Formats: sequence, structure tokens, C-alpha cells
Amino acid sequence: MPGESPPSGLLDFAAAVAAAATEEAGSAPVPERHLLTFMLEREEFGIPITQVREVIRVPELTRVPQAPAHVRGVANLRGRILAVVELRARLGLAAAEVSPRSRIVVVDIRGRVLGLLVDAVSQVTKVPETAVAPPPEEVRTAEADYVTAVVRWQSRMIILLDLEKALAPTESPSSQVDR
Amino acid sequence: MTDETNPFGELVEEYVLECLPLAEQVADAFVAVERCWREGEDASALLTAIAGPLHTIKGNSAMMGLAAMRDTAHALEDACGVLRHDAESPDPAAGALLAAGGSLLVELVRRARDNPEADEALEFVERVRQWLARGASPALETQPERRRTERRGTASSAGQADDRSASVVRVDFRRLDAMLEILGEGLIQQAALTESVRGLTRRIGPADQVSRLDQAVVALEKTLKRLESTLMETRLLPLSTVVSRFPRLVRDTAEAEGKRVRLLLSGGETPLDKAVLDRLSEPVLHLLTNAIVHGIESPGERRAVGKSDEGTVRLTAAPEAGRVVIRVSDDGRGLDEQAIRRKGESLGRDGRSESGLALRDLIFLPGLSTAPQVSALAGRGVGLDVVAGAIHALGGTIDVETAPGAGTSFTLSLPVTLAIVRSLIVEVDQERYALPLAHVAETVRAEPEAIRQINHRGVAAWRGGLIHVADGGDVLETRQARPAGRRFYVVMAAAGRRRGLLVDRLVGHQDVVVKSLDPELGRPVLVSGTTILGDGRVACILDAVRLLEGGRRAG
Amino acid sequence: MRRTFLVIDDSKLHHQMYRLIFSRGTLAGSTVYLAANGREGYGLLAAHPELSMVFLDLNMPEMNGLELLERRRAEALHLHIPIVLVTTEATAADEARGRAAGAWEYLRKPFQPADIERLVERAVAGSATAG
Repeated sequence: MPGESPPSGLLDFAAAVAAAATEEAGSAPVPERHLLTFMLEREEFGIPITQVREVIRVPELTRVPQAPAHVRGVANLRGRILAVVELRARLGLAAAEVSPRSRIVVVDIRGRVLGLLVDAVSQVTKVPETAVAPPPEEVRTAEADYVTAVVRWQSRMIILLDLEKALAPTESPSSQVDR
Repeated sequence: MTDETNPFGELVEEYVLECLPLAEQVADAFVAVERCWREGEDASALLTAIAGPLHTIKGNSAMMGLAAMRDTAHALEDACGVLRHDAESPDPAAGALLAAGGSLLVELVRRARDNPEADEALEFVERVRQWLARGASPALETQPERRRTERRGTASSAGQADDRSASVVRVDFRRLDAMLEILGEGLIQQAALTESVRGLTRRIGPADQVSRLDQAVVALEKTLKRLESTLMETRLLPLSTVVSRFPRLVRDTAEAEGKRVRLLLSGGETPLDKAVLDRLSEPVLHLLTNAIVHGIESPGERRAVGKSDEGTVRLTAAPEAGRVVIRVSDDGRGLDEQAIRRKGESLGRDGRSESGLALRDLIFLPGLSTAPQVSALAGRGVGLDVVAGAIHALGGTIDVETAPGAGTSFTLSLPVTLAIVRSLIVEVDQERYALPLAHVAETVRAEPEAIRQINHRGVAAWRGGLIHVADGGDVLETRQARPAGRRFYVVMAAAGRRRGLLVDRLVGHQDVVVKSLDPELGRPVLVSGTTILGDGRVACILDAVRLLEGGRRAG
Repeated sequence: MRRTFLVIDDSKLHHQMYRLIFSRGTLAGSTVYLAANGREGYGLLAAHPELSMVFLDLNMPEMNGLELLERRRAEALHLHIPIVLVTTEATAADEARGRAAGAWEYLRKPFQPADIERLVERAVAGSATAG
């Protein structure tokens, strides 16, 4: 838009329109990642949208006696039993109360369907590949190897998770195999 | 002699000339079919190729008045018609059946001049009929019709062959699983409906329309029940489908051990759900192997104690009170109780720390069985904990009896079907649980004075004896600071043990559909599965046997 | 009266049986043409407009009975010759399809010589009244 400098809100709008236009043309100049982002504590985490089946409100959860500590319970997802995992516990955060903003992100990790209890779900975000950087050294400890990258984009910082690592099955106390 | 009254009797030579090569072609193909299946290959092309020859043999035999050949060919045609739809993974009996029928047909055709007696043919026809009937269910009869029309035109003879087998169809078991899953959903929806009708009745009283609704729901429940029992019957297979390979395995094991062992099988016709059968084969084989390796003595040893050289291992099965009881017994040396007890003590499980610990408790302990010196000393027990674990996972129980020098007998009691369990739904600390009714002896109102504390354990009088009554919240680890009123206790009984479990509410009886545990849930010992209740909530199905054992984690 | 028949059947045994039938009783002295499959049979049918009747097996390699009937109807070949479709078993639908394709009658195996004799009589009577 030529002419006098427009207010910044309009500039953003113009940028968004332009972005949408390039998208529709089907040839984004910069490769993008599609992420579902959600909040835990005050941090924003992201996972590839391809791993997400759906996002649901928190249904009634049933506790399972003797289940591992990170398992919050099981829920009825349209007749399927969905195990709901407290992602906070797996990421070393304190457990939280379920609030009206809490959601369950139903993920499919190589056929393993699980529910992740999160504080809130932001939205589906497209970030340019150029905004993706390896995680800072201090984050990449041995335990936190599930952080694959950090995205800094539009004043947001999104921590990308490798769910396969974050949800690696813990050794169960009994190693017996029931058949 | 050929049938004198048959107008074409004089053509019997021509009949043999035409039909013998066809019969041989059919027999050869069946041998190939059997090999295909053994190697997991698709045999549909072979089955299609023999449809023509088989049809010609049948027609020719009918014209000649040769009933034995006609009926044998006919039976084979029926079997093939069914198997063509399931040419990749039929049950093991099918290959043997076809091969036997093929050689019978060749034999009969070869002897056509003497118009052979039909006895063998009758026997075979009956075998085929039984085999076909096994998979049959009236509910599935519409299936072949659809297939038939689909296939029409691709093979002209197939259409006719299928026609005769229209009352019998073989179905991929996964489809039966899917049907059960759907039925389960239906049962859940019906339970939900029942619940809301009850709520409605409470709110607006027994109005005419409400009671009609109530009746309709009751009728729906009955219909679903009938559907369930039909489906469950459809899923049943005789035990012989898994034990048929045991004689060979027993022979091999005995040979390797330098022992002489005779395996006696009985009750092979006992029906079990395929899901149970699939999981039963390994533990039973394990028990048989144990009996040969550790139970039966060498011929020399046996002679020294006045037994016959040849040991006997029995595998018997019989339905008993809605369950199936399987017994594996031998006439060997019996268990060395002293050695087992010594080993048990060394593992810290002696008679003092766990009152009344019997031999059967010790022998199924994990640590005990795997220690090599134990199997050498006690002569028994390799991996019995694994066997017990597998049986428990099936909702079964395992028990052992032994007499020194006379032998050992393991008794397994198993549910006939796995998928649907009649349960008592109880509530403890706001959580609901399903207790399999098979293990519920009684529910008792928990009067405060009825349960006394002895040694910090609740004890109550029950049927002339004393039983331990545990707090549900303690066992299930949900106990809050101020537990809600435990108003009832449920007396659970399994494998000769009894125990009470204090609960807050008895919600009701329900047939619950077992959904397996998500691996994410680890291996909670007390929980055998999950289910969805009428109100849509998920409940854990508690493992009664483990509950009675105290619910500690194994290992 | 000497009659001429065509038998289309892939079974040599059946050829022999028809020979027996057409050499005895009321049918003795008939002429029989034998074809081992539909293709061969169709050729013989085309070459012999004087045929009294055709006995056609349903299940055959090359060209089966129904295919032969359908082709004959499409080409309107000798529609005056009654064709009997012979089967071991057939559904009502098969039978209907056979009739729709122009089969005059159905004959189920196993049959007796008397069955053939009856069919021949009926066919003769039918053609007598028709013509």
C-alpha cells in the first residue's frame, strides 16, 4: 500500500494478507512448520500438528490404581479408553488442578494414542523454518532431551517437544510379561 | 458291483476313465493347498482351479448312481466353497480335512466297479458337516448371499457351489472381535438408556408413557442379551484346535529327556472363546513340559519304585459351573515340598511372616521358580510364576496338588469367554470399580459392630468362620483423611480364599465389556482391564484373584 | 421318425450316456452330434438347422451354456430349435437367467433316460402345434 505510512495495526494486517496470499499460491518462499501450541505453567510448548488427532475438553477422568504417577487417569473417548498423561509430570513440573481452560490434546505417536493434559491450548501456529533454532545449551540436559528446538517468532518463544522422547514408557516396577 | 438298476451301469469303465484323473487332480491340489496354508500362503487359486473337476465328478457320480463318490465330492465342494472366502488363514483342521477327502475320493473312484460301500464316505461327509457347522451362526447367514452375488460371473461353478453352503460361512475372527466391540457399545448405550429411564421414573412417577418406555428398554436389553449369547457361541472353538499339536511336542520333549511318556487327552471338544484359547496354549504347554522334565522319572527310577517304565501325563478339560476346568496331571515323583519351603524361607516368605502360606502360594512365587538350584532340588517349578501370571491375566485361577511319589496335578479354572464379564459395580472414594461376579460370594451391610479389629486388621464373622475385611480405600490407594461411609463389604472368593472388601456403595450389576489396559498404564496388578459404564464413565475391572492375594505388585 | 440331436457337454462320459439313451426305446435310431464345449457346439448348431433338439450343459470350459444361449439369441440363430439347459444344481436365479437367454427347458442331473424321452415328446408336440 503506497502513500502515507499507515498505522502499525494495518501494516500487520497487510502482512497477514500477503502471507495468506502466498500460502494460497501454494509456494511459500520460506518452508513453514505447522505446530499445535499449548501452555504449561507459563511456557508455551509446540508439537507437530501431524501428531495431533484432536483437542478435547477435560472429561471425567477415572483413576487407575497402581498406575504410574504421570498417568492422570483414563477417559471415555467415544467408546475408546484413552489414557491421559499429565504432561507436567513428565516435564518435571508440579501437577496442576484442572481449570476451565484445561484441555486434553489427543496425540497419535506412531499408533500410540494418548491424551496429554495441558493447561490451555493456544492455536495452530505456522512458524517459518528460519525461526527454529536448536535449544540453548542449558536446556539440553540429559533428562530434557525431549526439547528438540526453540522457536522465537513474533515475540513468542515456543519450546518444541519430541513427544516420543517425552513420553518414553517408564520401566514398570514389574518386568514380568503377562501374555 | 454297479447298481443294476442304473441305466448307465455299463458305462462304469468310462466313468473311471474320466473321473479318476480328475479325482487325482483334486487330491493333488488339496495336498498343495494344505502345504500352502502351512506356509502361510494364499490357496484361493488352487481352490478355484479344482471347482470344475470336483463339480464334474459330482455330476458324473450322480448320473451313475454312485452315492459315495457323489456325496464325498459334494462335501468337498461345500468345504471349498466356504474356504475360498478364507483362503489365506483357515483353521489348521481345514487342510487336513481336504487332504483326507481328496485321497478318499481317489480311492472311491478307483473302486467304482465294485460300487464301494458308502461308510467311509458317510463318515467323511459327517466330518465336513461338523467342521462347517462349527463356524455357523444364524446371525451370519446373510453373509454368503452378498458374496455370492459379488462373485457371480467370475466363476460360473462357484456360484453353484456357494449356493449349497449358504447356511454356513467362515468369518475372519477379527470381524467377530469387531462385532463384539460394537455389541459392547450397544450394551453400554442400553445401560445408559436404562439409567435415564429410571431417573425419569423417579422424577415424574410411573406415568403410562414412562412405563411403556421402561418396557421397551427392558425388551431391548433382552434382545441385546440374546445377540450377545449368540455371538459368544459363534466365537467358541473346541479346545482340540490348540491341543492337537501337543502330542507331537510331548513326544519330542520326552525323547530329549530320555523318558517314556504317554499323553492322554480328554475333553478336547470343550468349547472356549478363541481369545481364551489363544492365550491358553503356552501356559498349558509349559505345564506339560514341566510334568515331563520334572515330574516323570526316568524309566530306571520308575522301575526301582515299582512303577511302569512309561509315565502318564493327562490333559483333561471339562466345563464346570460356567467355567472350564483344565487339569494337567502326571504320575511322577511329586513335588519336593521341603525343598520348596526351604527356598521360600530363603526368599523371606516363610510360614511365620505370611500366615497360612500353602505350597501353592510358594510354588507360584516369582523368585522361587527361576532359581536353578530349586528346580534341581524340588524337581519342579521352572517359570510357574509365568504360568500363573498368564492364567490370572485370563481371569482364571491355578491350583496344585501333589503327593510324594504319586504325582502332581495342576488345576486351571478359566472363564469360557473373555470379553464380557458380569460384574458388581461398587464405589470407593468416588471412584467406581467393576468386580467380576464370578468371584463375588456375597455383599454384606457393614454394621459398625460387625467388624472387629484384630491385629490392626478388620475381621468379620461370615458363614460360620472369620474373614479378613480390608478397606477398599486402603487396597486401592485412594483413602482420604476422612473416608466416606463404608456401608457395605463385598465378600470375594477365589481359589479357596475369601476376603471382604469395604466399599461405599453398591451401584448394581452390569455386564461389562472388557477393554484391555493401555500399555501406558503400566502393569497395575489389581486391575485386569477397563470398561465403560452406563453413565459413560470409565471403571477399572478389579482382578479378584490378585485382590485376594493382597494386591501387592509381583516381582 | 428319425430325429437329430445335438449334445454339448464337456464330459465324455455324458456323451456315452446320451448315446445310450438315443440308441434305445422310443429314441432308437436318432442321429446324435456331440460337442465337447460351447464353441464347438455353437458351430454344430449353426451347421444343422434340422436339429430336433439341443442338450446343453451349463458348466463347460471355453463357452458355457449361458454364454452359448446368449450368443445364439443375440445372433438369432435357429431360434426354432428347443435347447434344454442341463445342470447339476442351479438356483432359481440361474434358471430364470437361462430361460431369459432362451433356454426352452431345464434338466437337472442326475436324470434318467425317461426324462429325456419325455422332453423330446413335449418338444415334438410343441412344434407340431406351433407349426
